[in-house]
Amino acid sequence: MSELFALASSGFIPIMAAIIIGYGLWVHAPIYDYFIEGAKKGLETAIDILPFLIGIFLAINCLTVSGFLGFLNTSLRPIFHLLGIPADLLPLICLRAISGSGSMMIVQSIMEATGPDSYAGRAACVMSGGCETIIYVLALYFGVTKVKRMRHALTAGIIGYATGIVVSLIVCKYL
Amino acid sequence: MMNYIWSAIFLIAFLYSCLTGKLSLFADALTDSSTEAVQFVIGLAGVMALWSGLMEIAERTGLITKMSRLLLPLTKFLFPNQRNPETLSSIIMSFMANIFGAGNSSTVFALRTMEKLDEENHHGPVASNDMCTFAVVNMAFAPIIPIVMLQIRDDIGSADPYSVVLPSIITAVCTIIASVIACKILERRP
Repeated sequence: MSELFALASSGFIPIMAAIIIGYGLWVHAPIYDYFIEGAKKGLETAIDILPFLIGIFLAINCLTVSGFLGFLNTSLRPIFHLLGIPADLLPLICLRAISGSGSMMIVQSIMEATGPDSYAGRAACVMSGGCETIIYVLALYFGVTKVKRMRHALTAGIIGYATGIVVSLIVCKYL
Repeated sequence: MMNYIWSAIFLIAFLYSCLTGKLSLFADALTDSSTEAVQFVIGLAGVMALWSGLMEIAERTGLITKMSRLLLPLTKFLFPNQRNPETLSSIIMSFMANIFGAGNSSTVFALRTMEKLDEENHHGPVASNDMCTFAVVNMAFAPIIPIVMLQIRDDIGSADPYSVVLPSIITAVCTIIASVIACKILERRP
């Protein structure tokens, strides 16, 4: 089963490409001309999102180096202790919402510290897979639009994120 | 809203690094992150051009209209008012790329979807329901098999690297359901 999924993961992109090009040939479309036109649009989008990325990278990196997350960790520790959540997971829960690559390193260090098959180690894996970097995604997605008011996107995103954390803690305890 | 979030993050970071005497690190972070962002976009630009090119072919040959007709029942519930086949197929492609763990491709489709939804929103300043639902639900989608994570688990010496797969799927399903419910309830407010 797992080999099947690994195959599907690596095969998804080439198969989609083959279907699209094959269909284009079938209906005798000038596919190369279309491809170049589309690629041009894609590069324009890349340039369009650059300013938003610089902005969000700036904010996230500054927050990470300032040590504020460390402060958050120490002040939340007693609450987590009361709820029976391993303290090792704290940095991950705080960082996952804002940085994807940073949280991957934390997952690795949690697994190295507590063992990959421990409760904390498994919960860290599940958590980092199921929760997205909310602020980054919102900045990027809405960056290509003209929207100034995101309405409920942030609130709903946080609700989804919190659900991901809670469910991963419960599921890993009993499964 | 980004104005508030951005300045809040920035101010907290600045004040806290003053407090802890880490201002030199703060200065480094400022210059490094701009470079980092440019490098990230250059890395992404190739994939973006590739997919935009392929999708242009699929759109102009009419393949997309055919494919999205097949998957229409799936998207009807999430996006009840969405009729544009190009938008629907780009939504579906984004979800699929996410499920198969093709992160960068998924970002490309997500941005395309947002651009299309923005057009339908007549480039207005207030986000539409579909925009919010798409952004939030797409965040909740996770790869079925987190290949990189399994590799790391194996390297560290896990007895059963795959033991996180089922919990991950359960968590993702719950997160998606919670996100959809949150969107459907919150969107009723003005």
